[in-house]
Amino acid sequence: MSVDIAAEVGFADGGFRLRVVSTLAAPATGVFGPSGAGKTTLLQLIAGLVRPAVGRVVVDGEVLDDTAAGIHVPVHRRRIGVVFQHGRLLPHLSVDGNLRYGERLLAAAQRRIGYADVVALLALGPLLARRPATLSGGERQRVALGRALLASPRLLLLDEPLAGLDGGLKRQILPFLRRVHSALGIPTIHVSHDLGEVLQLTTDLLLLEGGAVVARGTVAQLAAQPEHLGRLHDLGLVNALPGTVAGHAPEDGLTSVTLGAERTVLTALRDEPVGTACVLLIRPADLVLARTRVVAISMQNQWLGRVVSITGTVTRTVVAVDVGVTLLVEISRRAVAELELAPGAPVWCLCKAQSVLVT
Amino acid sequence: MPVILTADEIAVLVLSLQVALASVALVAVPGALTGWVLARARFPGKSVVDALVHLPLVLPPVVTGYLLLVAFGRRGLIGAWLESWFGLRIAFTWKGAALAAAVVAFPLMVRAVRVAVEMTDRGLEDAARTLGASPLRVLGTVTLPLAAPGILAGLMLAFARALGEFGATITLAGNIPGESRTLPVAIYAQSQVADGDDAVRRLVLISLAISLLALIGSEWVARRLARRVETA
Repeated sequence: MSVDIAAEVGFADGGFRLRVVSTLAAPATGVFGPSGAGKTTLLQLIAGLVRPAVGRVVVDGEVLDDTAAGIHVPVHRRRIGVVFQHGRLLPHLSVDGNLRYGERLLAAAQRRIGYADVVALLALGPLLARRPATLSGGERQRVALGRALLASPRLLLLDEPLAGLDGGLKRQILPFLRRVHSALGIPTIHVSHDLGEVLQLTTDLLLLEGGAVVARGTVAQLAAQPEHLGRLHDLGLVNALPGTVAGHAPEDGLTSVTLGAERTVLTALRDEPVGTACVLLIRPADLVLARTRVVAISMQNQWLGRVVSITGTVTRTVVAVDVGVTLLVEISRRAVAELELAPGAPVWCLCKAQSVLVT
Repeated sequence: MPVILTADEIAVLVLSLQVALASVALVAVPGALTGWVLARARFPGKSVVDALVHLPLVLPPVVTGYLLLVAFGRRGLIGAWLESWFGLRIAFTWKGAALAAAVVAFPLMVRAVRVAVEMTDRGLEDAARTLGASPLRVLGTVTLPLAAPGILAGLMLAFARALGEFGATITLAGNIPGESRTLPVAIYAQSQVADGDDAVRRLVLISLAISLLALIGSEWVARRLARRVETA
């Protein structure tokens, strides 16, 4: 999947609200930036809901917009799914009617995603007969996601699907979004102003500001650039590590989660069954660095790693440490000097089990 | 005062309902489409179309009737054509009465639909488009169902207006029993004769009853429709 955009979208009163030249090629890209940065406009442009003033939009080699050639493929022929903020479910149809709305418009041969699979994946069974007005915000977003999936899109656009949901509901929806990624493999562009949310789904980021792309790359690449560090921090920079629940020790009050092959992280006791896929969230400021293993300390996680890079601005310093996965650790400049940290140096990375959030 | 109707009055009642329903049938689809176009489309000359649509609302009905007579009379441009090709006579028939009522009721229908469509959430239409619905399908499966209470209100207004139409009707269709003597025309005619008072009272009561029934009925249906499309 690749989305090539070289386009400008204008305001009705002149001026531009979006000017983007970029190629999005990752299976999932997180588009983030402050309010008014042009994130939603970018999605509308790709979906065909706004037309570029000048430029081209190409998805997988198919030209969807080309102002020079006079091409504009209408929205309903693009096969690009959108999950909007607040769902936009059709109020006069039941949940079932909403789910089947797009599916019905597809020829049987074009349906790549089964109704029963989506209902099971998103746990929609009990909701099917209900009216959208009777659903909670989280339920509504699940139905909106299922409805978009059943239209068998080649690309899925998520426009702040979690905005307006409280923390608990967000934690309910995010696992569903991750399942959509892993089970169905539909390329996704996820717009959000919350970096922590985006990072649970992808590490490939596109940062928009003032209607223009100011940075793109993986979160590790962007965090290594001083000019982006402050922005990332403001938008909620967090270490998001996909892992698997490996075991519980109720007598110790701890749960162990494996990251990749061998690295194990201890967290406060959880109740997910062993084998559950999850994402660990650790704030950079909650991590501690030490030159040696520390004994007689309450911190349960101590990992030996190697400094990858040190990125500093006036106000903050972030050290990237490779402990099998790359962790971003925020410490003071004096600490960097006292520990004589430099790229390549071995260092112990410490973290309280209670500072590891599991979602 | 006996409320038993004479055979003539029953004929007036039946004819009035027939004319009003026929005119509602005439304005329903063109009125809904015009309302939708005025609400959603942008095209040059839109304000001219808008003004033309509203003309019958501001013209004296007699003038509307006269213009219709010029066009649809036996020697009128459209009237002569209809008669020579289809053997269809409009002026001074019940069809003329229905046409006059329809033209006068048209802007009310358009306005109601326009407001209803303007109030439906375009975001929902966008969502339907991203799911693969063509513009026509969006109109049929999203816009119209959501605007249904407003469209119904428009039909109701058109019906009430058609039922009460007098000036354009009498000018285009005259006062012919069984053809164009509708309730208002009959009330006017009876009020002009010396012993018509009882007949006038009965006809007025019928008018009141029909109007109230239509109002209550449409209110009931509109509330049911509104419940169907409510958002949280």
